[in-house]
Amino acid sequence: MQNNDYPTPLPNDATLEATEKFNVVAHDLPKVDGEGLVLGRPAYTDDLVPPNALYVKLVRSPHAFARILSIDPTDALALPGVVCVLTWKDVPRIPITRAGQGNPEPSPHDRFILDEYVRYVGDEVAVVAAETEALAEKAAGLVKVEYQKLKPVLDFEHALDNPIVIHPEPGIHEMFPIGFEPKRNIAAAYHMEIGDVEQELAASPVKVETTVHTQAQQHVALEPHTAFSYIDLQGRLVIVTSTQNPWHTRRLLGLAFQMPLRQIRIVKPRIGGGFGGKQHIHVEPYVAMVTMKTGRPARLALTRREVFEATFTRHEMRVKVRLGANPDGKLRAIDMQVLSNTGAYGEHALTTFMVAGSKTLPLYNKVSAVRFGGHVVYTNKVSAGAFRGYGAIQGLTGLEAAMDELAHKVGIDPVELRRNNMLHEGETSEVFRIMGEGTEGVAMNIESCKLEECIARGKELIGWDFTQLVREVAPGVLRAKGMAIAMQGSGIPLIDMGSARIELQDGGFFKLHVGATDLGTGSDTILAQIAAEELGVDMADIVVYSSDTDHTPFDVGAYASSTTYVSGSAVLKAARSLKAKLIEAVAEKFGVAPKDIVYTQKTFMTADGTKSLSLNDFSYDTLYHDGEKMKTIEATESFSGSKSPPPYLAAFVEIEIDTETGKVNVVHYVAVADVGTPINPNLAKVQIEGGLLQGIGLALYEDVRYSEAGHMLSHNMMTYPIPSREDVGRITVELVDSYEPSGPFGAKSAGEIGIDTPPAAIANAIRNATGVRLTEYPFTPERVLAALKAAKTQHT
Amino acid sequence: MEILKYACPQSTDEAFRLIREEHGTAIGGAAWLRTNTKTIALGVDLAGLGLGYVREIGDHIEVGAMTTYRELETNPLLRARFGALFETTVSHVVGVQLRNIITVGGTVAGRYGFSDLNTTLCALGAQAVFYPDQIIDLAQFIERGAEAPFLLEKVLLPASAKGTYHQMRISENDFPIINTTAVWTGSEWRIAVGSRPAATRLCPKAMALLGADPHPSDDILASAARAAADELQFGSDIRASAEYRREILPVLVRRALMEVRG
Amino acid sequence: MNITLRINGKLESIECLPGEMLTEVLRRAGHFEVKKGCDTGNCGACTVLVDGKPVLSCSYLAVRAEGKEVTTIQGLADEAKKFAAFLTAEGADQCGFCAPGFALTVLAMKDEFSSIPDEAQIRHYLAGNLCRCSGYEGQIRAIKKYLEAQHAE
Repeated sequence: MQNNDYPTPLPNDATLEATEKFNVVAHDLPKVDGEGLVLGRPAYTDDLVPPNALYVKLVRSPHAFARILSIDPTDALALPGVVCVLTWKDVPRIPITRAGQGNPEPSPHDRFILDEYVRYVGDEVAVVAAETEALAEKAAGLVKVEYQKLKPVLDFEHALDNPIVIHPEPGIHEMFPIGFEPKRNIAAAYHMEIGDVEQELAASPVKVETTVHTQAQQHVALEPHTAFSYIDLQGRLVIVTSTQNPWHTRRLLGLAFQMPLRQIRIVKPRIGGGFGGKQHIHVEPYVAMVTMKTGRPARLALTRREVFEATFTRHEMRVKVRLGANPDGKLRAIDMQVLSNTGAYGEHALTTFMVAGSKTLPLYNKVSAVRFGGHVVYTNKVSAGAFRGYGAIQGLTGLEAAMDELAHKVGIDPVELRRNNMLHEGETSEVFRIMGEGTEGVAMNIESCKLEECIARGKELIGWDFTQLVREVAPGVLRAKGMAIAMQGSGIPLIDMGSARIELQDGGFFKLHVGATDLGTGSDTILAQIAAEELGVDMADIVVYSSDTDHTPFDVGAYASSTTYVSGSAVLKAARSLKAKLIEAVAEKFGVAPKDIVYTQKTFMTADGTKSLSLNDFSYDTLYHDGEKMKTIEATESFSGSKSPPPYLAAFVEIEIDTETGKVNVVHYVAVADVGTPINPNLAKVQIEGGLLQGIGLALYEDVRYSEAGHMLSHNMMTYPIPSREDVGRITVELVDSYEPSGPFGAKSAGEIGIDTPPAAIANAIRNATGVRLTEYPFTPERVLAALKAAKTQHT
Repeated sequence: MEILKYACPQSTDEAFRLIREEHGTAIGGAAWLRTNTKTIALGVDLAGLGLGYVREIGDHIEVGAMTTYRELETNPLLRARFGALFETTVSHVVGVQLRNIITVGGTVAGRYGFSDLNTTLCALGAQAVFYPDQIIDLAQFIERGAEAPFLLEKVLLPASAKGTYHQMRISENDFPIINTTAVWTGSEWRIAVGSRPAATRLCPKAMALLGADPHPSDDILASAARAAADELQFGSDIRASAEYRREILPVLVRRALMEVRG
Repeated sequence: MNITLRINGKLESIECLPGEMLTEVLRRAGHFEVKKGCDTGNCGACTVLVDGKPVLSCSYLAVRAEGKEVTTIQGLADEAKKFAAFLTAEGADQCGFCAPGFALTVLAMKDEFSSIPDEAQIRHYLAGNLCRCSGYEGQIRAIKKYLEAQHAE
């Protein structure tokens, strides 16, 4: 569809308050790596491979569930140039999780690097290394594997207590109680209740029940998963990899290979997108095996098909929401029950499932009772893992659908229904205290929440008029509006930790070393902005290096929307410490007390103005001139949040629906967000915008499809199309003024909030247009038309 | 995909000999070769034969087999004679970069089910010219294929016609779920339907209902649209079911006919 | 076999197999600005110019490049820097994996149109360059501003 003559929204010329308040923070500064990336300078893992590296290819299972009886590498090894074929016999039998999470991981340790069972089509069987890629591929095809085929479990609705057990093997375990019952095909389970939901529902004059089914989704980061490894001069294993979590990767590989962590170094270069798909160990173990066996560098870049078939997807979920309310729309009770499909292994099983409730239910904090529960089950499909939104998108899709049904039932504007029930600044929700990520949560008062402002501005931008949400633009073609609100979090409190080190260099510039992982999001840039603001210097005076376990301080990695809030806070602390040390050192030089030093415009002056010294001159003094007093001035600080202040978003969509064909197009998607202070407004907005398009993809276009035998049918970008620039009309993202006292310069986060609303908002718009509530995603033209027809038949 | 031996003949005669007598495989656009896992013993590149042209000869238009989609999209002669028909037909295909590579010949020879171009060509009554001198109705070739190894040299189109192309896709750059082109040649109506998911077919019963009247009534258009769905076979695949294809085809055909009729 | 072609203006002689596509050949020759994103011709990250026309190098038979002029974004570095400035000013650049192919297509579009294309034409010309990080809006704004600045010169 094309509708690019859609009127551009009312211009928002007003500068954010934060932009006026700060010099560097809240300014739209260009990314530090922007030009280099456009010019294609070598920067990604596959651009940096050492010249004599071996090429690694994986032999993969053609069966959804099978036991390996034998592996015969003879024919493969007979090819000249094939160096080794490694199997489960070549690696210690240690159960780990591949999930990139803190220790102890909330995911079950249910995965062996190579195992005698294969549990999905594509599961790794053997590792082949050869001198060229073509040879490695040919050799992989020559490895003879004998399987005992087993009957797979493919439908997650029939997995629980299925007589077929996907994980019968001994030795697998949970790290702490997560409801792990593998004999029942349960990877995790959880429930909580505040108040008495059944009683409250029974007493509610108005009741709504809505069940939605969201599908698995593929990340489709444009750079396929890639890693290479080599042994360095000190005999240590170095792995350069496209990863979101260098430290978790190092720790889990150390566990898997029974190696001390000091023997392993993980480096993350530039990576081509993650979105959660690289918040796992992926190909690192296989290159490591080859390097350790042969002593040679080894490289593995997955084909796009392998990324689809054999990395990770989003968790498919069935979300059932029951609401109880008064006739005026006042919510009394919410019950959310979830069944989640974690695929063959339990990475991120408990946590994505819990986030479906923990990052949605607090939105409506005035209920008397709220309940959340369900199971995460195994199936013989590719493993589900971390994916932006991380359960919140699935939970919100159910919750915001139910809320709109409630609005229809009581006959009030869905916007007003939200406003009358939603969370406000200064309030709290019991859910924060009870539901954490795998463990108990952390109580939190909401110190910043601008949902009212987001909603008001969003209404303006879309032109929301409750009395006129639908109009016919051509025979059988309707335009309709719908809305939804969302929250997320900023890091995992008391679990996510980030550190930063800042050091003064000769020339008056600073090295900023952070463990924080830039996935292309621009975190190197915004962290430098924070440092520059606090140190009173320009962006050009900060040189950033990140994500190298040897050279940068610890950071859990980029996930849970933690980088700005957690890593950024560490940077701010480090900058403050460093500034204090600089002032102290200069004060000593001047023979005055630190409080008598004024530091401004990169210059130190005594309060009486008699002495002054530029930062630049001081940098030479402290490194070259000051004799015994010479020293490196640096500061290292860490931060772990005691809360996870949510960003918020109000979404308004206008769709066009062709009722004769079922085709739905997004004409205009408006998202107004409260991210606290945006450290870089442009970068915060593009994060939200990208998330929105991925959410629209889940709502309308993307589907992970399997054959009846469990083969993935949607296994490349021909059969799994992601939205192109001709698929959506206009996306408008705006930020509102907000300030989070606990965040660096008032910041919260923006990484995930964008993805949460589209599936619900679009469903609500379709409902407004046609009276039909669609609940099976994605809303392909066929599904939409069938639903419209079914509704018509019901009414005749 | 492996090509063991590669030849780039400079004459059509030589190319034909390599294909017929040495079991050569013609290489047209070559865009599909990447996803193809088979081995080609002898690849015969047609790029050196000067088959990239759109020209008027006598009472018809000739489109050489190596003419790219991008050329079809932008060619002034095609626009003058057929309006935006070729542009709308090919413009959904991925992007300009791919359309600068894939060719008319590759698409026709491949008889691909998902093809948009074949639907429009059939609706126009195109003819395929096989070297050295065999002319076959394109719709017939799409249905039956060829018995012996062939070299497709060019496609013949009428000098002009009025037609529109309609389609359904899940997303803009995806393969089509179903497509249709309706054409008024000046003396008769022609309707072709492709991506059923199987390859393009004409709709003779629907065409017969419309006959030679340039301005059929809305009711007749609707009947013809329904007839098209009734006379064709549909299948299910990853993108849609047979039922859905059958359901929406009359809508697309009706809209196409109305657009052509005015 | 051996092919001789000009890459970014420089005559080069490169070994390749008859069935190889241009992407692998170019990357082997050190042109890492040509990216492999999808293996099926869908994403556009591998875009290069052959005799001035934008093509997917992953779907272009390497032997056909014999005697031709292949241009990557590095071959148009000065112009690419100009465009990059507009892109980064909009904050429209994220992971950068789509960027060299996308930028090259923008430069090809600029040369192909005699007047400034409108938004629909821009979106259509660039439809073959997928981006998963953004929602395309910032890129469109950057392109419009860049084209206007070029025309003003």
